[in-house]
Amino acid sequence: MSVSELLGNPVALSFIAATFLTLVSAVAVIWHKSIVYAAFFLSMLGVGNAILMTLLGYPVIALFHLVVYVGAAVTFILFSVVMLREAPMVELKERYLALIALALLSILLLYVFSGYVGMTSSYYVSYKEITALLVEKYWFALIIAAIALVTTLIEAITLARKEVVS
Amino acid sequence: MIDIYLYLMVSAVLFALGTYGLMTRRNIIRMLLSAEVIFNAALLAFLALSSVSSSLAAPGGALVIIAISLSAAEVGVIVSIAILMFRKKESLDVYELSEFKG
Repeated sequence: MSVSELLGNPVALSFIAATFLTLVSAVAVIWHKSIVYAAFFLSMLGVGNAILMTLLGYPVIALFHLVVYVGAAVTFILFSVVMLREAPMVELKERYLALIALALLSILLLYVFSGYVGMTSSYYVSYKEITALLVEKYWFALIIAAIALVTTLIEAITLARKEVVS
Repeated sequence: MIDIYLYLMVSAVLFALGTYGLMTRRNIIRMLLSAEVIFNAALLAFLALSSVSSSLAAPGGALVIIAISLSAAEVGVIVSIAILMFRKKESLDVYELSEFKG
Protein backbone atom coordinates (compact mmCIF):
# COMPACT_ATOMS: atom_id res chain seq x y z
CA MET A 1 0.00 0.00 0.00
CA SER A 2 1.49 3.38 -1.04
CA VAL A 3 1.51 6.48 1.18
CA SER A 4 -1.22 8.22 -0.86
CA GLU A 5 -3.42 5.10 -0.67
CA LEU A 6 -2.74 4.90 3.06
CA LEU A 7 -3.70 8.56 3.61
CA GLY A 8 -6.94 7.96 1.71
CA ASN A 9 -7.86 4.96 3.81
CA PRO A 10 -9.21 6.03 7.23
CA VAL A 11 -9.38 2.44 8.50
CA ALA A 12 -5.67 1.86 7.81
CA LEU A 13 -4.78 5.21 9.37
CA SER A 14 -6.85 4.44 12.47
CA PHE A 15 -5.22 1.02 12.73
CA ILE A 16 -1.72 2.53 12.56
CA ALA A 17 -2.58 5.22 15.14
CA ALA A 18 -4.19 2.69 17.52
CA THR A 19 -1.29 0.25 17.13
CA PHE A 20 1.20 3.02 17.85
CA LEU A 21 -0.76 4.14 20.93
CA THR A 22 -1.09 0.55 22.19
CA LEU A 23 2.56 -0.43 21.74
CA VAL A 24 4.03 2.83 23.08
CA SER A 25 1.71 2.64 26.10
CA ALA A 26 2.71 -1.00 26.71
CA VAL A 27 6.40 -0.04 26.64
CA ALA A 28 5.69 2.85 29.05
CA VAL A 29 3.75 0.52 31.39
CA ILE A 30 6.73 -1.80 31.63
CA TRP A 31 9.62 0.72 31.69
CA HIS A 32 8.30 3.98 33.16
CA LYS A 33 10.02 4.85 36.43
CA SER A 34 6.90 6.18 38.12
CA ILE A 35 4.33 3.53 39.01
CA VAL A 36 1.55 6.13 38.84
CA TYR A 37 2.45 7.01 35.24
CA ALA A 38 2.71 3.29 34.46
CA ALA A 39 -0.90 2.86 35.66
CA PHE A 40 -1.93 5.89 33.57
CA PHE A 41 -0.29 4.36 30.48
CA LEU A 42 -2.19 1.13 31.16
CA SER A 43 -5.40 3.13 30.71
CA MET A 44 -3.98 4.50 27.43
CA LEU A 45 -3.24 0.92 26.40
CA GLY A 46 -6.89 0.10 27.13
CA VAL A 47 -8.01 2.99 24.92
CA GLY A 48 -5.75 1.82 22.06
CA ASN A 49 -7.05 -1.71 22.45
CA ALA A 50 -10.65 -0.46 22.37
CA ILE A 51 -9.95 1.30 19.04
CA LEU A 52 -8.50 -1.93 17.64
CA MET A 53 -11.60 -3.83 18.86
CA THR A 54 -13.83 -1.31 17.05
CA LEU A 55 -11.83 -1.78 13.85
CA LEU A 56 -12.29 -5.54 14.21
CA GLY A 57 -16.09 -5.06 14.22
CA TYR A 58 -16.80 -5.12 17.95
CA PRO A 59 -17.84 -1.55 18.91
CA VAL A 60 -20.05 -2.77 21.78
CA ILE A 61 -17.18 -4.66 23.39
CA ALA A 62 -14.87 -1.69 22.86
CA LEU A 63 -17.34 0.48 24.75
CA PHE A 64 -17.64 -2.12 27.52
CA HIS A 65 -13.82 -2.33 27.67
CA LEU A 66 -13.58 1.45 28.03
CA VAL A 67 -16.26 1.67 30.71
CA VAL A 68 -15.47 -1.38 32.84
CA TYR A 69 -11.75 -1.92 32.27
CA VAL A 70 -10.33 1.57 31.71
CA GLY A 71 -12.99 3.38 33.69
CA ALA A 72 -13.12 1.14 36.73
CA ALA A 73 -10.24 -1.34 36.98
CA VAL A 74 -7.35 0.84 35.83
CA THR A 75 -8.62 3.90 37.71
CA PHE A 76 -8.80 1.70 40.81
CA ILE A 77 -5.13 0.73 40.35
CA LEU A 78 -4.19 4.37 39.68
CA PHE A 79 -5.75 5.59 42.91
CA SER A 80 -4.34 2.68 44.93
CA VAL A 81 -0.71 2.97 43.79
CA VAL A 82 -0.47 6.59 44.94
CA MET A 83 -0.12 5.40 48.54
CA LEU A 84 2.32 2.56 47.84
CA ARG A 85 6.11 2.52 47.43
CA GLU A 86 8.35 1.12 44.67
CA ALA A 87 10.30 -2.18 45.05
CA PRO A 88 13.59 -3.05 43.25
CA MET A 89 13.81 -5.01 39.97
CA VAL A 90 15.27 -8.52 39.68
CA GLU A 91 19.02 -9.11 39.15
CA LEU A 92 20.65 -7.97 35.88
CA LYS A 93 21.30 -11.55 34.71
CA GLU A 94 17.62 -12.41 35.06
CA ARG A 95 16.70 -9.24 33.14
CA TYR A 96 18.82 -10.44 30.19
CA LEU A 97 17.07 -13.80 30.35
CA ALA A 98 13.73 -11.98 30.29
CA LEU A 99 14.85 -10.01 27.20
CA ILE A 100 15.69 -13.29 25.45
CA ALA A 101 12.26 -14.61 26.50
CA LEU A 102 10.66 -11.45 25.02
CA ALA A 103 12.37 -12.01 21.65
CA LEU A 104 11.67 -15.75 21.56
CA LEU A 105 8.01 -15.32 22.55
CA SER A 106 7.46 -12.70 19.85
CA ILE A 107 9.02 -14.95 17.20
CA LEU A 108 7.09 -18.02 18.37
CA LEU A 109 3.73 -16.23 18.44
CA LEU A 110 4.31 -14.61 15.04
CA TYR A 111 5.10 -18.07 13.66
CA VAL A 112 1.97 -19.58 15.27
CA PHE A 113 -0.23 -16.78 13.90
CA SER A 114 1.34 -16.89 10.42
CA GLY A 115 -1.46 -19.25 9.35
CA TYR A 116 -3.85 -16.31 9.43
CA VAL A 117 -2.03 -14.22 6.83
CA GLY A 118 -4.48 -12.86 4.24
CA MET A 119 -7.63 -13.33 6.36
CA THR A 120 -9.74 -10.27 7.14
CA SER A 121 -12.57 -9.51 9.52
CA SER A 122 -15.78 -8.62 7.73
CA TYR A 123 -18.37 -9.06 10.48
CA TYR A 124 -20.07 -6.45 12.57
CA VAL A 125 -21.27 -7.81 15.91
CA SER A 126 -24.30 -5.88 17.12
CA TYR A 127 -25.41 -5.13 20.66
CA LYS A 128 -28.56 -7.27 20.18
CA GLU A 129 -26.59 -10.32 19.09
CA ILE A 130 -24.30 -10.23 22.11
CA THR A 131 -26.99 -9.57 24.70
CA ALA A 132 -29.17 -12.34 23.24
CA LEU A 133 -26.24 -14.75 23.50
CA LEU A 134 -25.37 -13.66 27.04
CA VAL A 135 -28.93 -13.99 28.29
CA GLU A 136 -29.94 -17.14 26.42
CA LYS A 137 -26.79 -19.22 26.09
CA TYR A 138 -24.18 -17.92 28.54
CA TRP A 139 -26.53 -16.91 31.38
CA PHE A 140 -24.76 -19.14 33.90
CA ALA A 141 -21.34 -17.59 33.14
CA LEU A 142 -22.97 -14.16 33.47
CA ILE A 143 -24.30 -15.06 36.93
CA ILE A 144 -20.88 -16.41 37.98
CA ALA A 145 -19.21 -13.19 36.76
CA ALA A 146 -21.73 -11.09 38.70
CA ILE A 147 -21.18 -13.17 41.87
CA ALA A 148 -17.37 -12.91 41.42
CA LEU A 149 -17.62 -9.13 41.15
CA VAL A 150 -19.80 -8.87 44.26
CA THR A 151 -17.59 -11.20 46.33
CA THR A 152 -14.52 -9.26 45.16
CA LEU A 153 -16.09 -6.05 46.37
CA ILE A 154 -16.79 -7.57 49.80
CA GLU A 155 -13.32 -9.14 49.93
CA ALA A 156 -11.60 -5.88 48.93
CA ILE A 157 -13.45 -3.95 51.63
CA THR A 158 -12.64 -6.62 54.24
CA LEU A 159 -8.94 -6.78 53.34
CA ALA A 160 -8.37 -3.06 53.00
CA ARG A 161 -10.32 -2.16 56.15
CA LYS A 162 -8.14 -1.06 59.03
CA GLU A 163 -7.92 -3.62 61.80
CA VAL A 164 -9.63 -2.56 64.98
CA VAL A 165 -7.24 -2.98 67.90
CA SER A 166 -9.13 -4.33 70.85
CA MET B 1 -9.96 -4.23 5.48
CA ILE B 2 -6.99 -4.84 7.74
CA ASP B 3 -5.37 -8.26 7.70
CA ILE B 4 -6.10 -10.29 10.86
CA TYR B 5 -2.41 -11.20 11.03
CA LEU B 6 -1.56 -7.55 11.79
CA TYR B 7 -3.84 -7.60 14.85
CA LEU B 8 -2.27 -10.88 15.93
CA MET B 9 1.20 -9.33 15.50
CA VAL B 10 0.26 -6.47 17.82
CA SER B 11 -1.12 -9.01 20.27
CA ALA B 12 2.09 -11.09 20.12
CA VAL B 13 4.28 -8.05 20.83
CA LEU B 14 2.03 -7.00 23.70
CA PHE B 15 2.15 -10.52 25.14
CA ALA B 16 5.95 -10.62 24.95
CA LEU B 17 6.27 -7.15 26.56
CA GLY B 18 3.93 -8.18 29.38
CA THR B 19 5.88 -11.38 29.97
CA TYR B 20 9.12 -9.38 30.15
CA GLY B 21 7.58 -7.07 32.75
CA LEU B 22 6.24 -10.00 34.75
CA MET B 23 9.69 -11.63 34.77
CA THR B 24 11.74 -8.58 35.69
CA ARG B 25 9.65 -6.80 38.32
CA ARG B 26 9.47 -7.55 42.03
CA ASN B 27 6.83 -4.98 42.91
CA ILE B 28 3.44 -6.70 43.16
CA ILE B 29 1.62 -3.73 41.54
CA ARG B 30 4.16 -3.61 38.67
CA MET B 31 3.59 -7.33 38.16
CA LEU B 32 -0.17 -6.73 38.11
CA LEU B 33 0.28 -4.00 35.47
CA SER B 34 2.37 -6.40 33.35
CA ALA B 35 -0.27 -9.11 33.75
CA GLU B 36 -2.86 -6.59 32.56
CA VAL B 37 -0.77 -5.97 29.42
CA ILE B 38 -0.85 -9.74 28.80
CA PHE B 39 -4.61 -9.73 29.42
CA ASN B 40 -5.07 -6.99 26.80
CA ALA B 41 -2.96 -9.01 24.35
CA ALA B 42 -5.12 -12.08 24.98
CA LEU B 43 -8.35 -10.10 24.46
CA LEU B 44 -7.11 -8.71 21.18
CA ALA B 45 -5.98 -12.13 19.90
CA PHE B 46 -9.26 -13.73 21.00
CA LEU B 47 -11.38 -11.13 19.21
CA ALA B 48 -9.18 -11.19 16.10
CA LEU B 49 -9.40 -14.98 15.86
CA SER B 50 -13.15 -15.10 16.55
CA SER B 51 -13.83 -12.42 13.93
CA VAL B 52 -12.48 -14.75 11.21
CA SER B 53 -15.66 -16.84 11.20
CA SER B 54 -19.26 -15.57 11.24
CA SER B 55 -20.36 -18.39 13.55
CA LEU B 56 -17.67 -17.54 16.12
CA ALA B 57 -17.90 -13.73 16.02
CA ALA B 58 -20.80 -13.25 18.45
CA PRO B 59 -19.88 -16.03 20.97
CA GLY B 60 -16.29 -14.70 21.01
CA GLY B 61 -17.59 -11.24 21.85
CA ALA B 62 -19.84 -12.56 24.62
CA LEU B 63 -16.97 -14.48 26.21
CA VAL B 64 -14.73 -11.41 26.04
CA ILE B 65 -17.37 -9.39 27.94
CA ILE B 66 -17.35 -12.02 30.70
CA ALA B 67 -13.52 -12.05 30.69
CA ILE B 68 -13.38 -8.25 31.11
CA SER B 69 -15.80 -8.45 34.07
CA LEU B 70 -13.70 -11.16 35.72
CA SER B 71 -10.54 -9.13 35.08
CA ALA B 72 -12.05 -6.21 37.01
CA ALA B 73 -12.67 -8.63 39.89
CA GLU B 74 -9.07 -9.91 39.70
CA VAL B 75 -7.69 -6.36 39.85
CA GLY B 76 -9.71 -5.72 43.01
CA VAL B 77 -8.36 -8.86 44.69
CA ILE B 78 -4.69 -8.19 43.85
CA VAL B 79 -4.77 -4.51 44.78
CA SER B 80 -6.38 -5.32 48.13
CA ILE B 81 -3.71 -7.99 48.77
CA ALA B 82 -1.04 -5.38 47.90
CA ILE B 83 -2.56 -2.86 50.32
CA LEU B 84 -2.70 -5.49 53.07
CA MET B 85 0.91 -6.51 52.31
CA PHE B 86 2.08 -2.89 52.43
CA ARG B 87 0.35 -2.41 55.75
CA LYS B 88 1.94 -5.49 57.29
CA LYS B 89 5.43 -5.34 55.70
CA GLU B 90 5.84 -1.72 54.55
CA SER B 91 6.96 -3.15 51.22
CA LEU B 92 5.51 -4.47 47.97
CA ASP B 93 8.45 -6.77 47.21
CA VAL B 94 7.12 -10.20 46.20
CA TYR B 95 10.31 -11.81 47.56
CA GLU B 96 8.94 -11.01 51.01
CA LEU B 97 5.59 -12.59 50.20
CA SER B 98 6.84 -16.04 51.28
CA GLU B 99 7.01 -14.76 54.86
CA PHE B 100 3.44 -13.56 54.58
CA LYS B 101 1.47 -16.25 56.38
CA GLY B 102 -1.77 -16.34 58.33
